[in-house]
Amino acid sequence: MMLRTRSDLEKAQTRAGYLFILPSSVLYAVFVLAPVIVTFVLSFTYYDPMAGSHWVGLENFQRFFTGDRSLQIFGNTLCFSLFAVTGNVVVGLLLALALNRAMPAFLLYLFRLAYFLPVIIAAAFVSIVWGYFYGDDLGVINYYLVHLGLPSVHWLTSSQTAMMSIVIMDVWKNTGFFMIIFIAALQGVPRNIMDAAIMDGSSYWRRFFRIVLPWISPVVFFAIVYASIGALQVYESIVILTRGGPGDVTRSMSIYIVEEAFDNFEIGYAASISVIMTLVILVITTIQLFASRRWVRH
Amino acid sequence: MQTKSAQRWIDRIIIAIMAVLGVFMVLPFAWLFSMSFRAPGEAYKMPPSFVPPNLDFTNYWAVLHSSVPFLQIYWNSLMVAVVVTLGQLITCTLAAFAFARLKFPGRDSIFFVFLVGLMFPAQVTIIPIYLGFAKVGLLNHPIGLALMYLTSSFGIFLVRQFMRSQPKALEEAALMDGAGYFKIFYRISLPQLRPALSALGIITFTQTWNYYFQARVLLEPHAAMTLPVAMDLLRGYMASGNLSVVMAAMSMAVLPVILIFLLAQKLVIEGVTMSGIKS
Repeated sequence: MMLRTRSDLEKAQTRAGYLFILPSSVLYAVFVLAPVIVTFVLSFTYYDPMAGSHWVGLENFQRFFTGDRSLQIFGNTLCFSLFAVTGNVVVGLLLALALNRAMPAFLLYLFRLAYFLPVIIAAAFVSIVWGYFYGDDLGVINYYLVHLGLPSVHWLTSSQTAMMSIVIMDVWKNTGFFMIIFIAALQGVPRNIMDAAIMDGSSYWRRFFRIVLPWISPVVFFAIVYASIGALQVYESIVILTRGGPGDVTRSMSIYIVEEAFDNFEIGYAASISVIMTLVILVITTIQLFASRRWVRH
Repeated sequence: MQTKSAQRWIDRIIIAIMAVLGVFMVLPFAWLFSMSFRAPGEAYKMPPSFVPPNLDFTNYWAVLHSSVPFLQIYWNSLMVAVVVTLGQLITCTLAAFAFARLKFPGRDSIFFVFLVGLMFPAQVTIIPIYLGFAKVGLLNHPIGLALMYLTSSFGIFLVRQFMRSQPKALEEAALMDGAGYFKIFYRISLPQLRPALSALGIITFTQTWNYYFQARVLLEPHAAMTLPVAMDLLRGYMASGNLSVVMAAMSMAVLPVILIFLLAQKLVIEGVTMSGIKS
């Protein structure tokens, strides 16, 4: 019988450990870590492979935060995120509350199926469909509006409504995801506390604000953070629905990055915009990390 | 008594509202399938159809014989999604086994570095990847898109969490018997991981099938494109008269994901939600 000493085992384990993580580590280093570092470096340079790149310090960042157009695009992205996050989370929570009541199992099954379906279909696909729905003259929605004797709406061609139309589609597409998260959270609210509150005769909304909402608040907070990270990166729905227009009113940071980097070859400037986007996401995530630690302790 | 019947009415009203909203959720899909069967000449005729008017596959035929190499594009999408899914199942499971079951110096800090990756959007890696791919000749090759996603922090995290919830008595016993780590992984751990692996597989496949931002930047010629980018192109090519043909292409493009969803509804919903609750 072969006897294995402790240190032999440890050595074998260490070797196996490194071997098992090797494929992932190499891929991760090549396709995530290295590109992130390169982007950070590029954001401080003027990139020109022909004439030679040079260091420009914070110039790219300065250009972003002082340009009218870039600031408008930054504002558009934040504005879209604010409305999309609020819409997704509030509607998702209301749907979850509705599905958390007594109802036949097959209805529950059908509702989950219907509300979740748009979540898994590519934004690129559904945006094309919504593009036809939002059409001015041949659009499906306007056809029914006019049919009902209502005025037709310039969903995507008016600078007042274009952004809201994109938000509406975004909520339609993503709110089912938040609904599912909230259903799971609502099922964790302790039954006995709820029963006691019902015995005391407190109303539904009173119970919701006093017991349910505080109980699920970590999940709500997580949902807000998660939705914000997604919304800040918004790209294909806008590219397909409005191409950033009319004018620049719906242009987002992602669209701007792609245009600057690959149409204008302003690689350094584009890199600085992606760094800004990443920093915003980093800040939001860090706040969540600290806040959730706090909550867990209570 | 009165409050009880009032309660019942509220329940009914809520179910009715949910049903109406639920119809609106699926309406765009009913529309796209139905329109794909309309004769191209009637594509824009009002009112729109939400139920197929016939079962005439002429438009599907037209997509396959258009100037856009649709079959090639479909193959690209399928190839990328399958390669990425298989790749992640292998790399993520191997890494997850090491992080969940083995002790080695630096394990926790390396795992933390993987988790940090969850915070980086595609926007912050795309420029160097584009420049690098241009240099090594991977630009405009769908396989390049697949390479980028052969591992994922989320996948490693998902499988590791699952593995940690499993008992490890069997693995320890096998170790005492002198089995090697790869044998333990392959014979004992892997068979226990089926639920986690099917969830990961389904999420990865649908996610990869839907990638747009990266594909649009990295794959320019028609023959190199994947479906989400190509659909946008097809729409421009076939402008006004051919809405039904575009929708025929769209029906084929959404079909795999809808099939997966209908067949494995529970797994998809659980999986996609888990992919959200990662940090």
